[in-house]
Amino acid sequence: MNGRQLDEFKRQVDICLVCAACFAHGPVTPHNWTELPPPEWDAPNDRCPSYEYYGLRSHTGMGRQMLAASVFREGYPVDQDLIDVVSSCTNCGVCSEVCPMWRPLDAIAALRQEFVQRGLQPRATQKLDANVAECHNLFRGRTREPVLEALPRRGADLYFAGCEAAFRQGATGRATVEILRAAGIEVAHMGGDEWCCGFVADWGGNASLSEEVARHNVQAAVAAGTERLITSCAECYAVWKTHYPSVVGELPFEVVHVSEVLAGLLDEGALSFDHEIARTVTYHDPCFLGRHGGVYDEPRRVLAAIPGLKVREMRRYGRWSYCCGSGGKLTQLTYPDFADATGAARVHEAEAVAGAVVTACPACVMQLRRTAKKQRSALEVFDLPLMVAEAMGIEVGSRITPGEDSAGGSDE
Amino acid sequence: MATGGTVQVDVAELGAKLESIVGPGRVSTSRAVCRAYSYSAFWGRTWLTVPDLVVVAATAEEVSQVLRVANEAGVPATPKGPVGQGGFGGPMKGGILLDLTPMDEITVDRKNMKVIAGAGGSFFRLAQELFKHRLMLPTSEYGPGPTVASSAIFPVNAFGKTRYGRNIDLVEGFEVVLPDGQIVRVGSMAYADSDFGPYYRYITGPDLVGLFTQSNGAFGIVTKVAYSCLRLPKCWAFHAYYWPLAQAETFAAVMTEATAMEIFDIHISDRWRFVGLEKAGLIPPLPNDCNFVAYLTVNAESPAELAAKEDVIHEMCRSRGGTYLPGAADHFYAEWPTVFAVVSQPMLVKLFNLTREASGATGMMICDSLNYPTSWFPQVYDKLMKTARKYGLWGEPNMIVYDGFPMKSLTICSQTWLFIDFYDRDWMRRVEAYRAEFREWFGARGGTHQSGVPPYPEYSWGNQPGAHDLLRRIKGLLDPNDILSPGTFEKRDWSR
Repeated sequence: MNGRQLDEFKRQVDICLVCAACFAHGPVTPHNWTELPPPEWDAPNDRCPSYEYYGLRSHTGMGRQMLAASVFREGYPVDQDLIDVVSSCTNCGVCSEVCPMWRPLDAIAALRQEFVQRGLQPRATQKLDANVAECHNLFRGRTREPVLEALPRRGADLYFAGCEAAFRQGATGRATVEILRAAGIEVAHMGGDEWCCGFVADWGGNASLSEEVARHNVQAAVAAGTERLITSCAECYAVWKTHYPSVVGELPFEVVHVSEVLAGLLDEGALSFDHEIARTVTYHDPCFLGRHGGVYDEPRRVLAAIPGLKVREMRRYGRWSYCCGSGGKLTQLTYPDFADATGAARVHEAEAVAGAVVTACPACVMQLRRTAKKQRSALEVFDLPLMVAEAMGIEVGSRITPGEDSAGGSDE
Repeated sequence: MATGGTVQVDVAELGAKLESIVGPGRVSTSRAVCRAYSYSAFWGRTWLTVPDLVVVAATAEEVSQVLRVANEAGVPATPKGPVGQGGFGGPMKGGILLDLTPMDEITVDRKNMKVIAGAGGSFFRLAQELFKHRLMLPTSEYGPGPTVASSAIFPVNAFGKTRYGRNIDLVEGFEVVLPDGQIVRVGSMAYADSDFGPYYRYITGPDLVGLFTQSNGAFGIVTKVAYSCLRLPKCWAFHAYYWPLAQAETFAAVMTEATAMEIFDIHISDRWRFVGLEKAGLIPPLPNDCNFVAYLTVNAESPAELAAKEDVIHEMCRSRGGTYLPGAADHFYAEWPTVFAVVSQPMLVKLFNLTREASGATGMMICDSLNYPTSWFPQVYDKLMKTARKYGLWGEPNMIVYDGFPMKSLTICSQTWLFIDFYDRDWMRRVEAYRAEFREWFGARGGTHQSGVPPYPEYSWGNQPGAHDLLRRIKGLLDPNDILSPGTFEKRDWSR
């Protein structure tokens, strides 16, 4: 929300109907007298991660919506107690998925902005924001993945790698560039002009910083001659797709996730996979690609096209997919016990159906890998571009590019 | 810290004691947590009831121990579900708020068509489990939350009330924790551990189940509810008819007749429920003379039986001046999500957003929730209309809506509701004035309030003084320290 939107929201926020659909253990809609709900309306019992962990109605979309009304309309004091209740939300968006009427996540986002405005931002996100403000990336990184540095600075197809693929999970960046190249798409990269997308600033409540990076990135992308901006990160995708237009207006170019590009190429017959991968995998929908971005089918279509690969769904998938616990790093950094428990639930769910999980977000990859290790699980975790590269016979290495600073958490 | 305004206790010390019963993380003294539990929907700020502690209990034994501690300390304890939509609940005098959400087990006895459900379960989940066994209970829309016990200790209506009555009319037994911590089973639950199982509500002597229904937990904390189920019919049909404003008498006569014929469900409303949808182009234009709309739901075991029942209702409505409203009824049931999922229903979401934009409303408010004989519908509606018009709430832009539920008892429970900004003083002043004026008229005729315990507004007390005096005496005997849901049977000033 930009400043004007936030002011309007504060004026309008109110208590909801208190129906508890956003977190309750039970169906959102039970039946229609003759049939049970179809899968898209068959919400799982355990849908709200923070309710599952804390077990209190306060830690739900419903409870936080009430707190927002208390703060914005009744002057209820903001203290650390309230900050903890509100901030221990992973932003997974399941509450707003169930309840588009009140969209509880909007209330949570508005409260976070309020905390920042009052100088009450959690220290961990303050540090990340400082990194972005000073170094334009989350990790104070100076050396990008070399494959990105070698790309042209201008081009119709611009790859927005994001901080993870550029500085920490270089394999994702290399794989994305190489698979697109093999498919006949030469991407450009903005180099130092690619600033952090501002996801952490946006969802952490630092509106001024997130707006600053939005303006910069859009301006830089326009200057680079972009006609189509491609991301491999779910958070970058969601921010470009929904937040930036709220700041600068309609973007003069298309924003797509790499899975959408690949699925489109497969549909056109312009891409095929000739290396068999004899594995059984499951797909984890990143919250910011699925619920926030509306991209569910494309990654699955890509995986389905890989010869030998068997894909099995987890119990919770698609619009009802469960969060990995990362919260786009915010939860992982500020409420690590909660993040660990949520990640463990997801790891166990994945290993119940497959030996490996594929996702389409470097933050989810990092969280699931870390959790699997902590849980002593043999579950393997892959980012989608890496799996596709293997299916195309492209060697990118599974090395995770070492970061220059551990801010934001380390990987392996 | 003061609890209940009368008792001084060390909340931290009490919390530690309670945590030793229910386990770590299951007790919260956080101000923010307590605040988040304190709202009841619709009634706005006047219905804010703030606990001093929230305790999440998972078994009847835990509830029992919590109540023993509460008795020792003289601290109030009140159960609360999410109360969804028109309900009200919460600790009127502070103290412990009991969240029973983990108590959500469901045991279906298909052979005997009985079910026992934990207090904190979702009524929607209960309905879905029964559906899988081809059984049903009247199922309330709007209730995905942990509402099994809530729907028994509060007056709840549901689809099916026209033939079967309220949910509580199908309750056969309770497991209850009394104020002193004793766990008792009444009604059919008294037999729960016998060879016959929970088969019959009326044990020897007076009906003890009724003591706890609509009690707000003041006589005991309900931890399990036993129901007698209904067979789920195979065939269903939904139809809507409308009548002009001038035909209120005829409309009431049709409802009376349809109720006596045991039609599964009738839901009535007036045109203002649909005007927003019509203006948004979400439904076809309403006929100019359409004022009262009846949704009629019929069911049967075979298509032939269903067709015969449909013929009967078509004949009944048409012969009494009703005009068919195509597409209005089946739409809400046939498409997913159904009308049960009110906050997800795309049409209702659009309506809410449009209303928010058009009028500045931010929330939804039930102005009144009433019970009266079906035959009194014309006078009640006329009075509601005239009073709302006087205070500028009738018609656009505020569009107060009448929604009614003809019930087996040949009474109607109805609400008037509108989208509103609870924090707009002028708006609230007008609504309060409308309510006060209408209530004076309604209460003087013996009207009762149907939604929420305690029976706000106070005319409910005035109409039933002997009955309420008896309730207070029973309360005194069962709960001498007045720790369970205190305030339930007291007159209370809600005007703060």
